[in-house]
Amino acid sequence: MSRSPEAEVTVAFYTVEESEFTGWTGGLLVLSASGRPVEFQCTLPIRPTRTHEILYGPTLRDFLIGEAIGSTLIKRCRHTPSLLCCNQPEALQLESVCGSPIALVSEAAERDEGPITDEMLPGYDHCELAGSTLRVAVERIEAVREIITQLPFMPDMLEPFDRIREAISEAQKQIARARAA
Amino acid sequence: MQNLVIEIDHARSFDADSLLPRDVWSLAIDPIEATSIPIRMQTIDVKTVGFQFPRFGGSSGIQRLRGENKTPGQPHAHVAPHDAPPRRKLAPGKLTRIKPPADVVKLEDRLFYLLQPPLELLVGSEQLDFPFEPFPYQLDGIAFLFPRYAAILADEMGLGKTMQAISTIRLLLCSGEVRSVLLICPKPLVTNWLREFSVWAPEIPVAPIEGNSPTRAYQWTSPDIAVKIANYELLMRDRDTVLDNDQHFDLVVLDEAQRIKNQKNTTSGIVREISRTRSWALTGTPVENSPEDLVGIFEFLSPGYLKSDMPVASIAKATRDHMLRRTKDMVMTDMPPKLYRDAELELTAEQRATYEKAETDGVVQLENLEQQLTIQHVFELVLRLKQICNFDPATGSSAKLERLVADMEEVAASGQKAIVFSQWVKSIDAMRPALERFGPLEYHGRVPHKHRDGVINQFKTDPSKHVILMSYGAGSVGLNLQFCRYVFLFDRWWNPAVEDQAINRAHRIGAAGSVTVTRMLMQNTIEQRIAAVLDQKREMFDELFNDAKSPAGAGLSREEIFGLFNLRSPKGRIAA
Repeated sequence: MSRSPEAEVTVAFYTVEESEFTGWTGGLLVLSASGRPVEFQCTLPIRPTRTHEILYGPTLRDFLIGEAIGSTLIKRCRHTPSLLCCNQPEALQLESVCGSPIALVSEAAERDEGPITDEMLPGYDHCELAGSTLRVAVERIEAVREIITQLPFMPDMLEPFDRIREAISEAQKQIARARAA
Repeated sequence: MQNLVIEIDHARSFDADSLLPRDVWSLAIDPIEATSIPIRMQTIDVKTVGFQFPRFGGSSGIQRLRGENKTPGQPHAHVAPHDAPPRRKLAPGKLTRIKPPADVVKLEDRLFYLLQPPLELLVGSEQLDFPFEPFPYQLDGIAFLFPRYAAILADEMGLGKTMQAISTIRLLLCSGEVRSVLLICPKPLVTNWLREFSVWAPEIPVAPIEGNSPTRAYQWTSPDIAVKIANYELLMRDRDTVLDNDQHFDLVVLDEAQRIKNQKNTTSGIVREISRTRSWALTGTPVENSPEDLVGIFEFLSPGYLKSDMPVASIAKATRDHMLRRTKDMVMTDMPPKLYRDAELELTAEQRATYEKAETDGVVQLENLEQQLTIQHVFELVLRLKQICNFDPATGSSAKLERLVADMEEVAASGQKAIVFSQWVKSIDAMRPALERFGPLEYHGRVPHKHRDGVINQFKTDPSKHVILMSYGAGSVGLNLQFCRYVFLFDRWWNPAVEDQAINRAHRIGAAGSVTVTRMLMQNTIEQRIAAVLDQKREMFDELFNDAKSPAGAGLSREEIFGLFNLRSPKGRIAA
């Protein structure tokens, strides 16, 4: 991932969708400080084989979200976001790949995971942005608080995940049409 | 005593040694040989597709606009982070997302629009800070305009086309997607647009093109003015400047775009030649007389896209994605209702006698003209008959006036106010004496322009003034009378679109309550025949505008006007 041309603050949102029909698809959306799209990367659908499911077992989800898909998207992204936000706890391990701090948006994660408590994430602190709670590794919390002060116009921290889902759906429709043609 | 003798029974005895086996047996066991079976696990190959979106201008367009719009003596309107307006919490429910138009096929372009934030998030933020809460359908209108390079916003009068256009322009300017905008409107509406910009987008540098020739030449080319407002009449005079090779606008917006429906018109020609990237048309009456009008407007939006000989159904299909029209009925949940009450009246005895004689004599005269008959002759007869429907010229007898006076008793008694429309000042003069006790005011061509604002203010504030008598033409430009609950159409115009425009002086956003519209029509007269033809034409416009009801219909064509009298000559039916 290269440095963005300007030192402008950007925020990336990362999520992975799982569908029984299409498989696993990841999307990474980079937004400007005012919430406008700067860059979008998404994967083609991935279907782990039965062998993967057996051998990875319960760690398959961790592997796909936190390693295979996430690291590929981050590496392909041209912009280095100031902050990477995710709605799946498995993505937090991407911190080793991504140079930027990673935050779990609690309210977005709670839709699938249920209530997110401090006990679930030892070693994490939290702060607020656009009315949402961000859970960040303790050693990165001050850096994230500093970044937040440069995002006064960020409208909402939940809605961008919906945009990624819509964009993934649109991309899959186009790919399907292209293949049919 | 005998001694006990104990003997050991050796046959049944054993000792510890006899329990242990003295012999050893060996058992052969085959060694276990392990065989490994390799399982090939494919690496999960992750392929990606990615897009970067244009960053217009680098820094926020809002700061750029504010910086350029600094007025000497006024503080720079910069918003520091700690002073930023409080963020709105997204309420559950419908989100207005910008959807890519159907003609945008490239995935990158489609994603650019899909990935924009919903408008509800922008409302209240620095990017779209409204002085009033917009209606949901207005956000839909903004979402419709934003991604379109060719669009008609054809909302019914009073639904806020101006606000929607200004807000979308503001979004496009703030994002940097457009930098120069030209807005063309009728001359009387220039001040209205300037006022609306100051309300809805105060930070945008806006200026009218006006003044003497050198001043205008400078204004046309000035890069500091983001939005330039010119009137249609000016285009002829400044044609060379407007069409100069170096002149280009990212967006050209036409207000009252039906003005260019006639493709042969010089103004239409100039407008079509303006160098531009995006073209929008705003009009409450996109089709006034026939679908041909729409073809004329589309020659500006996308030349060659529509053809004059296309069937109506084809035109409807082709324009569907480029045109958005809402009527008050469609957004009724946001506005108080408009209630129609048609007064179908019978002519008084005096009126009937005069009318029948005039019609009989008039038709005979028209038939005698034979091939020399022109539409002007027919018009003259129609107008004469319509005037008799208003007032008997000899006696002044009027069934309509009798009804109007009766209704005004009720209006005045309830403390309400009414507008009465007529196409003739002569009729207004004739009805005034009977309405004197209701404090009538007048607003028409004979009222000097400098007095007109005063008339409106007096009507609004003086409780003794219950009725204002207006002509259709004078009452149609930039006039808001939302405090009126009653509208009377003393006589009906040729074109329902003009009637609707008149009614919408009262029934518009901000109206205090429902508006009752009384349309007066004399039975068994030319008025009834005209109304029947106009009602039939509504079917065509329903087809053009999807399933939406379209009260804005057409006027009468030549054929229909001639057909009103079914004119016959010895040589057969007189054709139009």
